[in-house]
Amino acid sequence: MSLPLEALATTQREVGLVVAVGIGVGFGFVLERAGFGRAPKLAAQFYFRDLTVLKVMFSGIVTAMLGLVVLGGLGVIDLRALSETAVSATNLWPMVIGGLLLGVGFIVSGYCPGTSIVAAASGKVDGVFTVVGVIAGTWVYSELMVIPAVAKFHQSGDLGTLLIWQWLKVPPAAVAAGVVVMALGMFVGGEALERWSARRRGVEPSPAPRAPRRIAFAAMGTVAALGLVTLALPHRTRAEARTAPQSLAPRDLAGRVLEAPWTLRILDLRPQAECMAKRIPGAECAPPEVLAKLGLKDDPGVRDLVLVGPGALAAAPPAAASYPGRVLLLEGGFAGWTAYALTRPALPAAAATPAELAEYQLRAAVNAALTGMKPSPPPPPAAGGAPVKKKGGGCSS
Amino acid sequence: MDSDRFWNPYLAGIALGLVLLTSFVLMGRGLGASGASHRIGVYGLDLVASQHVDRTPALHAAKADGHPLDDWLVFEVLGVLLGGGVAAYTAGRMKREVLRGPRVGLALRLALAFGGGLIMGVAARMARGCTSGQALSGGAFLSVGAWAFMFAVFGGGYALAWFVRKEWT
Repeated sequence: MSLPLEALATTQREVGLVVAVGIGVGFGFVLERAGFGRAPKLAAQFYFRDLTVLKVMFSGIVTAMLGLVVLGGLGVIDLRALSETAVSATNLWPMVIGGLLLGVGFIVSGYCPGTSIVAAASGKVDGVFTVVGVIAGTWVYSELMVIPAVAKFHQSGDLGTLLIWQWLKVPPAAVAAGVVVMALGMFVGGEALERWSARRRGVEPSPAPRAPRRIAFAAMGTVAALGLVTLALPHRTRAEARTAPQSLAPRDLAGRVLEAPWTLRILDLRPQAECMAKRIPGAECAPPEVLAKLGLKDDPGVRDLVLVGPGALAAAPPAAASYPGRVLLLEGGFAGWTAYALTRPALPAAAATPAELAEYQLRAAVNAALTGMKPSPPPPPAAGGAPVKKKGGGCSS
Repeated sequence: MDSDRFWNPYLAGIALGLVLLTSFVLMGRGLGASGASHRIGVYGLDLVASQHVDRTPALHAAKADGHPLDDWLVFEVLGVLLGGGVAAYTAGRMKREVLRGPRVGLALRLALAFGGGLIMGVAARMARGCTSGQALSGGAFLSVGAWAFMFAVFGGGYALAWFVRKEWT
């Protein structure tokens, strides 16, 4: 069994939707019990009176983060692969401006989009108004996206899926430990701010029970240390990946070359002349004598390494196998790629489903990129074009 | 006041993190909220102005794969409604009321609740997520963009708090 359970999004989708409701119930229940269904309590965060928002949010982030890091360190889940589906890519500028705007909307409405749903569920009429406002806002933005300048801004600052530890080139557990230290500092500082605010208003600070706090802090610290301990054994999982590189179908490679080329480093292992004549877009020519000089073992290993042989490769050559990141072998090698990408796809029928149309458009685009021939346009009834690839951390899709 | 008794914030946070971790490990996805709002909006708009939805790419994307409501997030938000309702009811906080500061009128409070929601709807689409999907889920994953977003949210809130202090204090 490999986690996450992929079947829940594909063959067992109905079960997946039931799981979704269950997870939502847990989410809503916890938010309400934390006090997040009440606007004055949430807004108090911004007047230093009650920093519950900060405490709950960072405890939540720290807990889930430590769980991910420890499970990743033990090899139960593949953090990098999971990040491709679970996290939206970083588009720095829209995220910063969007964040500022969301903060403004937060203090004006007293809720964030998620907590407004909890407020509405518990009968708060102001929560219902915020829920309706959020729906209206998402609609307004969709209309604004028609303006080219807005659409351009929406895509600006594109860094791809970028995690802090990839950016800093350090192990995830080290960043996690740093975040825990920062969070604990913020908790202690936050409590001091609350006492200061209470004194200033001439109120007696309410003495919070110490025991749960002590348990929570100790648990966070212990698990963070455990995460650091797993650093002693990650090379085992890397070694496993090295002996058994995964294979990659030409179709999947084509999709990634077109949609997310920055996640790949493609090495063409065929003789120099053949590679120079014709190769996969973005591929580097790396015949054996060049391959040895690339210094792959010192690469940060952020991108997936794709190896292309003349035909199917049985195993990665040692110089490439030392790559610290994921190594993928192209199924059927360059011959397989040619068979997929050089054969012009048949035009889909007029009644083709959006999935078939998307498949056609992908093959046509790859075909055009490799042969220099213009693809035939897709048939007319395809209103709206290809479905947008789903991606993102929950809110965005 | 009995109805104001809440969980210890640190323990509530740990519970929240465990729910999020379960979601990541089982489904390969984080929690979210505003994505569902978008889909509900597209669904409503599609009922009254289907052609307009088809002409607007950002709206059409939500129904390109099938029914706009046939999505993981919509079901998750359905669960949030249920879970929030049950938690409020069992804690004696289920009550029809308008929550507001002592110095703000009813109509103004409701108008601000709607207006703030509108701003957040725009912001969440721009940032590819809200406090749940971006700050919490992306933050736990240590995404660079999610952390930039999170600090910006606090920045925006604190920057405006003084100007709207009559709404809350």
